Amino acid sequence: MRDLYKRLGITPQASDSDITAAIEACEHTALKADASTVLSVKSRREEYDALHATLRDIGLLRARLGLTHGRYWQDSVANDFSLPPDNTCSRHDELIGRVTHAVTLHNRWQRWRGPWSMVGLLALGITLGVALCHWWL
Amino acid sequence: MPIARFSPFELLLLKSRNQADTAGLLLLAWVLASKGHLSEADRQRLTDLARDFRHGHELEPVIEIAAQQDLGAIQLAAEVMQKDCGGEQAHPFLRQAITLAVADGKLTSAHHHILRFLADLLGVSPPKFAMLFTEVAGKEFTNPDDPSRTGYWQAKERHRQQQEDRQRQHQRSHDRQSHERRSSGQQHRQHSGAGGSQRQHRQHSTQEPPPGDRTQRALAILGLEPGASRSDIRKAYRRLAQLHHPDRFFAEGEAMVASASQRFQKIKKAYEYLMEAS
Repeated sequence: MRDLYKRLGITPQASDSDITAAIEACEHTALKADASTVLSVKSRREEYDALHATLRDIGLLRARLGLTHGRYWQDSVANDFSLPPDNTCSRHDELIGRVTHAVTLHNRWQRWRGPWSMVGLLALGITLGVALCHWWL
Repeated sequence: MPIARFSPFELLLLKSRNQADTAGLLLLAWVLASKGHLSEADRQRLTDLARDFRHGHELEPVIEIAAQQDLGAIQLAAEVMQKDCGGEQAHPFLRQAITLAVADGKLTSAHHHILRFLADLLGVSPPKFAMLFTEVAGKEFTNPDDPSRTGYWQAKERHRQQQEDRQRQHQRSHDRQSHERRSSGQQHRQHSGAGGSQRQHRQHSTQEPPPGDRTQRALAILGLEPGASRSDIRKAYRRLAQLHHPDRFFAEGEAMVASASQRFQKIKKAYEYLMEAS
């Protein structure tokens, strides 16, 4: 499917008047005819928009998963929805990274006997406070 | 150093007994959710499927995440699936996805694109996936419809109108039958009743003439007399199509091409209609 919004140079959220203006300004006859058929009737536009959103999601997923040159994708008319591959790190790697980080923190906490040192620090703080009060008064 | 919070799906994955199964379930729920809403029947279907999975946690959170169309979660699930079950191993999963997608009878375009994406993701080649699809759904895996073209809407609306016509005709014949049954002695009254319903029908849809009329007009477009045979129709169509093909007018400017393509469309529609009707 073609991305009519992209080809007309408007956003999918454009109002009806914007769309009419963009169709008027379009110089490609076939595109003009198709766009006015699809986008100027409300029920058709709704159906088109639903599929458009799905395809945009798939396009984004493909870009992130490194599938922009997939066999089912490139030769179809879905080319409008192909994005350049992006460099964001893989979600799975990110998850593993975070889990590793959490594990390191946890281990460090355990190694330094975290709970006991917390209790010790608290007790020290209290005694210091009490001592300070005594000395002051 | 603070760690970013784990999303609900990440927590599920960490808890899961089998990550690939959890990810598969999310992708299946996504297939269902892609049509906009999840009905009770869909949830039931997914619950039935989930019995064979070894995820070992509640299904409800997975369905909720999919219903929100959370792209981050879906991407993570896709990565896990890609890593853990590619190629041959993916066939059972793809079968389940196809079953869910065609459960409503017709394969929608959104499902179509999602299935293609899943096949591509799991490294199943197009011919192989088409074979799988035919096995499971009993239908060919054709190219998806293209709603960005005028032709799609014309075909769709024509189809709908034909169905309505058929229903109306059915209704009419039904009415007439009941009329006949009810007033077998009152011929005169029944006649006027049938005439009235016909008139009503005309008024209701002024732009679409009754079928006999349309056949005649289609024949007139092709320059044929009523009662022409199929081969006559085909011959006339070939001749006229050659004469009015838009490509012939390419040199004479866009306006000529546009008018020729209008004529050509008319001829083609007439031919298709006659071929369907005869």
